[in-house]
Amino acid sequence: MLSIPLLKQSMKSNAVMWGSMTGVMTLLCVQFSMLDMTRSLLFTIFYGMMTTILPGIYVLVTSNKLLASQVDRGSMAYVLSTPVKRSSVTFTQSFFLVNSLVLMFAIQTGAHLLVNHSKPVSMATLGYTMLSGDLTSKMILQVNLSALMVCIALAGVCFMFSGVFSSSKYTIGLSGAFVGVSILANMLAMFGNLGVNGLDKFKYLTVCSFYDYRSVLFANNDWIEKMIYPAVIAVVAFGLGQIVFKKKDLPL
Amino acid sequence: MHDEIIRINDLTKDYGNGKGIFNFDFTVKRGEVFGIVGTNGSGKTTTLRHLMGFLTPDSGSCEIMGMDCRRDSSKIMKHVGYVPGEIDFPDVGTGTSFLKIQAGFLGIKDREYINTLVNMFKLDTDASLKRMSKGMKQKTALVTAFMSRPDILMLDEPSTGLDPLMRDALIELILKEKQRGATVLISSHIFKELDDTADRVLFINDGKQIDITDRSSVTDEISQKYRLGFKTEAEYDSFISSTCFEIDHKNKQYLHIDLEISPDSINDMFEEISQYDLRYMKYKPFTLEDHYTEIIDKGGKISA
Repeated sequence: MLSIPLLKQSMKSNAVMWGSMTGVMTLLCVQFSMLDMTRSLLFTIFYGMMTTILPGIYVLVTSNKLLASQVDRGSMAYVLSTPVKRSSVTFTQSFFLVNSLVLMFAIQTGAHLLVNHSKPVSMATLGYTMLSGDLTSKMILQVNLSALMVCIALAGVCFMFSGVFSSSKYTIGLSGAFVGVSILANMLAMFGNLGVNGLDKFKYLTVCSFYDYRSVLFANNDWIEKMIYPAVIAVVAFGLGQIVFKKKDLPL
Repeated sequence: MHDEIIRINDLTKDYGNGKGIFNFDFTVKRGEVFGIVGTNGSGKTTTLRHLMGFLTPDSGSCEIMGMDCRRDSSKIMKHVGYVPGEIDFPDVGTGTSFLKIQAGFLGIKDREYINTLVNMFKLDTDASLKRMSKGMKQKTALVTAFMSRPDILMLDEPSTGLDPLMRDALIELILKEKQRGATVLISSHIFKELDDTADRVLFINDGKQIDITDRSSVTDEISQKYRLGFKTEAEYDSFISSTCFEIDHKNKQYLHIDLEISPDSINDMFEEISQYDLRYMKYKPFTLEDHYTEIIDKGGKISA
């Protein structure tokens, strides 16, 4: 099912985007967790926004490049004029998209674990004065797992648009609207959480609400339950993209 | 072995507004060079896209080696090399890395033939795919189509962007492939390359199949054209008034006429013109282009 040459091709053509997003995310993470000035904002700004914004931009651009843009520009002809099945094309491309996200989070998490190990931060510094002790490695892993699941759901929806449409402009347009609304609503909802009245309702508008770092910090298990929804969204969306791409007419 | 390697049965794809292809029905024999000729937008590419399994027919079917083009596409692709009409490559850097990845897709281990093709087309594979000129891109596409030595080659306007020398090299390569036993489908609006290669030619116009011409019949049975140039106007006038042959075209300024002669009356013509004072006489070879124009003219009259 997995086409190795196609995987190589996808790695080659998306390496720059992946590398820069991973780099920026890791650097920001190191900066927020290391410098005294920014440590208190580690969760509000870095884990609150950056872990969805940066991977969001990555999946928006990359999912379009993996299918729709190649159909739009015609280069998909070189893949499909070889004995590679369409289903193996979508499988390989979604495999690449999901695993590149996993690797992105793995690198950033690894960096955070290192920094946190050498320079632990207390929960009070992070703004959670009601909690005692330091931020643990386990918490870091759990927070990132929760964020990763939501990003995979974002990736799934973008990939679905990429499989459904044969034109970049529709894929980018709809994926962009989806990712943009998800991220913006998440930010507004966060202001709601911080005390701005009424804005908390925005949490119903975004898949990012299923990413719940507060639950991890407070050591309750809500975040695990909340991972089910993005997982279902991802499975359905990747599946739909796959089915439509297999059936549709390709202008190659 | 199927003698008819490609079979298209009553294939229709309606894009609306009269666009598309309608009731295409033809077969291509193994080892044949089959040309598809038509104006822009007449349905050449749509036909090839069906054969490649990229499009699902509205009605009818197409088969290659007895397999359905849409359903069994990935099996068929083991035997097919394709040059798409629109050339754009995946974003993988240089020509070399693109050819390497394509060889991986096709499971080609031995790179010797690839190098032969690269040298034949004088292709600089170190160049970045994005910086390539149109001709370079076309050559790269040709190498990827020919490099697996496929049983069937589908070439959508393969000489686009090539210089005349490279076009000749391509024609030579197509003929070589035919000798090897490959079946070749070429769509084109450039008649010369089909004149030199095709065994049979399908003419299409506005999504309709107009005629399939066997090349041997075009060259042998069809009337021939000769142009006669006269020395004086008197000779010119006298020939026009007395001749029994059909005059296809005349030009008083240059004192020449074009005669259309059926193959069996060629001696009569020589007998007649021996009595005149001629400046020159030349044979105008009958090309596919003439044939196409003729057919389209007829078709136009029918529909009018």
